[in-house]
Amino acid sequence: MAVTSKVAADRAESPGSASRSFNVGVWNVVSLAIALGIWQVGATLVASPFFPTPIKVVEAFIQLATRGDTTGHSLLAHAWASIERVLVGFGLGVLLGVPLGLLMGLYPKLYAGTRSVIEPFRFIPPIAWIPLAIIFFTGLTRFAFLIFLGAFFPIFTSTLVGVARVEPIHRKVGVVHGASKFWILRNVVVPTVMPDILAGMRVGLGTAWLTIVAAELAGGISTGLGRMMTNYAELLMVPHVIVGMLLIGLIGFLMNEVLLLIEKRLFRWRWQVSL
Amino acid sequence: MHGYAPTAKVDVDATHRYGQLVVHEQLKFSVAANEFICICGPSGCGKTTLLDMLAGILKPSQGHVLIDGIQANPKQQSISFVFQEPSTFPWLTVRENVATGLKINGARREEIEAKVGDIIRIVGLIGFEGYYPHQISGGMKQRVAIARAFATDADLILMDEPFVSLDQPTRERMQREVLDIWRHRKRTVIFVTHNLEEAVYLADRVLILSVKPARIVADLPVPLPHPRDPLSAEFTEIRSECVRLLHAPEGGDAPPFGSI
Repeated sequence: MAVTSKVAADRAESPGSASRSFNVGVWNVVSLAIALGIWQVGATLVASPFFPTPIKVVEAFIQLATRGDTTGHSLLAHAWASIERVLVGFGLGVLLGVPLGLLMGLYPKLYAGTRSVIEPFRFIPPIAWIPLAIIFFTGLTRFAFLIFLGAFFPIFTSTLVGVARVEPIHRKVGVVHGASKFWILRNVVVPTVMPDILAGMRVGLGTAWLTIVAAELAGGISTGLGRMMTNYAELLMVPHVIVGMLLIGLIGFLMNEVLLLIEKRLFRWRWQVSL
Repeated sequence: MHGYAPTAKVDVDATHRYGQLVVHEQLKFSVAANEFICICGPSGCGKTTLLDMLAGILKPSQGHVLIDGIQANPKQQSISFVFQEPSTFPWLTVRENVATGLKINGARREEIEAKVGDIIRIVGLIGFEGYYPHQISGGMKQRVAIARAFATDADLILMDEPFVSLDQPTRERMQREVLDIWRHRKRTVIFVTHNLEEAVYLADRVLILSVKPARIVADLPVPLPHPRDPLSAEFTEIRSECVRLLHAPEGGDAPPFGSI
């Protein structure tokens, strides 16, 4: 344990230490306050019902949270519906993107030989799949499919690129000691690629949230933050639309923080965790 | 006398070529158990090929590389390798890095703990067990790699110019340390170096290779007790002999050897 504390002490002396993270916290509160201030002043000056003040948005939030929306769904039900879809679609993206990225990274010929099939898909936006998704799927499956399409490629691509970063010397350490291919995959390839996988996951998570709102606009469902926002947009009730927007931002931000936390725990061996 | 005794730990009699290029032409030598030998040769003498053959990850085109009388194979024999470039795993602590070879060999947990603890003490890394490679110096990293090699009951330890990237004082200290570890944990060591002084300082025997197609041009015993004094008359004499043999023109130009 003495060692751990020594390491911690080393960290404290290096830049990026506790005293700086305190400043970072303060600065975030300050910039948040400034942003809200500008919003308040702007909204007061414009004085339009379509440009609500932060207070109007808070009121809308309280109304939605306590009494639900015009269709009787609570804000929590909307938020959870979207979160569930994102988690399932994103989870599928990880479950397929990581193994496929590893496989094609380890056998580059497999990738080279299937590029013409894989790569064009990368450029078809998930939104372009909505018509087909409506025809072929219903309910959760439809959203999971669309979000999967958005999350898969960032995860797959960064895993694929990460495998190329495996140092031949690290592989050779395993080989000369008589390690099996599986041992090398588990103990050399995966640890090397892990930072890229996590980075891909964070990009994929962004795409997943990007996709969800568009997918929920497609209709056929009554819940989801995207749905709720469209309902209120049709009623021209802008504060309620903004509640949906901010909630999406907040949930995405929190999920990203969770991934960053995992990253910091997993990669204590690195100099620093990149953002 | 170093005949090719049937009891030899390592027995090499190999010819290797890549297409038309003959890398080794009937390269023949053997190493006794627990012997420390150094192999010196000019650049391009095919030392990487030789080490890969000794490690059992490359089969010679002709002939054999035997360890304890059977074909070298990393899955069957325990072979350890200390590389020239940094080879510690950055995501593992010093202790976990040192345990790598033992873990691959499927050693039990208590055995791993005991052996790793032992070797960490011998290489002087006590107190750094929980550190990650980026937190320690280059010399310490190389010590971790050496500890990893000596932690297993390796039949054979191959060292590929392990100190070439270290500064002179660190290099000298590491040479003393390797001899010290070797005294504590007797193993058969084949050490490749371009530095003749290093070879004469360390080895029981120095093998000198020619340029491609590489053959053994000399097999010189170094009958000096440790610790050796590089400034003593006997040491200087053996080193000069090595220099002379290395530069001996055999139908070609003498290879440059700036470090001598």
